[in-house]
Amino acid sequence: MTDKLLNQEENGIFSIFNFGIEVMLKARIKMKLGPDRGHPFTLDVDIEGGNGITVLFGTSGAGKTSILRAVSGIYTPDEGRISLGNRVYFDSSTGERLPIQQRRIGYVFQNHLLFPHFTAEQNVLYAIRDLSRARARQRARELLSMLGIGKTARQYPRELSGGEQQRVALARALAQDPSIMLLDEPLSSVDAATRSRLLDEICAAQKRSGIPFLYVTHNHSEAVRLGDAMLVLDQGRVVQTGTPLEIFNSPRSAPVARVVGTENIFIGEIVEHRIGDGTSLVDINSCRVQIPYSEQPLGSRVSVGIRSEDILVSREYLTQTSARNVLKGVIRRIILDADKAELVVSSGVDFKVSITPATIRILDLEVGTEIYMLIKARAIHQLV
Amino acid sequence: MIWHALRLSLLVGFIATILIGLVGTAFGYLLARRSFRGKDVLDAFLTLPMILPPTVTGYYLILLLGRRGLLGEPLYALTGWTVTFTWVGAVVAATVVALPLMVKSARAAIESVNAEYEIASRIMGRSERETFIRVTLPLAARGLLAGMVLSFARAFGEFGATLMLAGNIPGRTQTMPLAIYEAVASGEDERAMWLALILTFISITVVYLTSRLSRPGKSA
Repeated sequence: MTDKLLNQEENGIFSIFNFGIEVMLKARIKMKLGPDRGHPFTLDVDIEGGNGITVLFGTSGAGKTSILRAVSGIYTPDEGRISLGNRVYFDSSTGERLPIQQRRIGYVFQNHLLFPHFTAEQNVLYAIRDLSRARARQRARELLSMLGIGKTARQYPRELSGGEQQRVALARALAQDPSIMLLDEPLSSVDAATRSRLLDEICAAQKRSGIPFLYVTHNHSEAVRLGDAMLVLDQGRVVQTGTPLEIFNSPRSAPVARVVGTENIFIGEIVEHRIGDGTSLVDINSCRVQIPYSEQPLGSRVSVGIRSEDILVSREYLTQTSARNVLKGVIRRIILDADKAELVVSSGVDFKVSITPATIRILDLEVGTEIYMLIKARAIHQLV
Repeated sequence: MIWHALRLSLLVGFIATILIGLVGTAFGYLLARRSFRGKDVLDAFLTLPMILPPTVTGYYLILLLGRRGLLGEPLYALTGWTVTFTWVGAVVAATVVALPLMVKSARAAIESVNAEYEIASRIMGRSERETFIRVTLPLAARGLLAGMVLSFARAFGEFGATLMLAGNIPGRTQTMPLAIYEAVASGEDERAMWLALILTFISITVVYLTSRLSRPGKSA
């Protein structure tokens, strides 16, 4: 049995963890964040992260990094409790506080923070504390080659590409058999192709290790590709939890919609319920839209969100269409990028509409053009 | 006598530089990385020897270390030995006068190291001491070395405070600058010139080393 265990450890670096015991991170954190970081605000969250990747999503300054720092022990919360499985990292009610070095944190930093005076291999070795010199070196080599950068071992960080640097950072974080991995926007400075490959590697690393990963990002595609669960943070609070797709497709409140990037958020009044149609009619500054049937009584004020890519445009008025809303409007602005274009269309209120540059050419759109916007009722989300 | 003065100056300079390197780096780290009450006061106090005339610094050192000084008296009572008029006094004077240069250089050098590296090291389970030795120190090495070279130059040429504390005893406490002063005062022009040339040569070498160290280039 012992032999078998040893063998397993030789074969796979993380096999020691693959026993299927789920270790949960539970963190209740309350802390004032100082005025040295812009505007002072209070972080007050209650989060859980199981075996899998939990995405912390939010705009900058929402408190995402502070959560990672509190879990790692760099910040001490004013109040709360942080535990991983049955290990208590911090508990303000008992005064318990596990020293940083006993927490076994794998941390990947936003700008990788590889030590510039160490080679790639030395960077990884620095994170390994409890193995003999020879074993540590072997493990560092294994990790680097597992991530496809075995040949960079003797190179210094400045000699590596952005993707290679981030891989070394990942290897370094995994090196000490962490109990939990904390990743702080690790891919914000690598190109799209590298990002895609690294996302796969992060997924694979999580599967192999079977430990909770907390992944901070404000990038939609990263969240959707990685997240088993997602928490949306806004101004120091968790405003919605669910799977990334659930949240992106139906943000529940205006702050969430704003954070996840629902470009159109309006406040209106329910003026009619059409039970037979399964829709309700909302008046937004005299622009009337049909939304899925709402439980709210007539006359109540509601906010609705529409993603800019859920709006179709047409130069002609269409009748035979499934879109419940065909709204006439005038193009106020056209913002053109290399691969996408955004229209601001005025129809009582201003709608942001995201289309391809080709559409602008083919439909011959310019500022002042009258167009029709087609929006499915189902694409209009009522926000609480 | 020239050679004795040169040897003494070099010895005093080297010992003072080692002390300054240790103490100055410690204070520099404290000022760069910690926030505590009275930090500004400490900073001002450590800068003082740079602002005061060296004779005044020397005078305070006599009050502190002289035979009847605050520390000097118990030391004399205990050991029968006193710092004044010994080469150790020259080391003390040079150390105190040149220390502010090192504190300032060390603080700047350590502040220039991204503190996030230290956080990264701490998260990897390294203690604060290990982090300082293996991360902060190597990353600040150039600045610290430049500071030490400058301090050496200052300590090597120290005159005023040394004269006050160690006196001007040829063959015992007479360093290069003191020897030059005496040579000029007693009209030994040729001797004064040679001493001045040697001192100038050493100082130029030091300035050259400093500029090479502070030039950005291949770092460790």
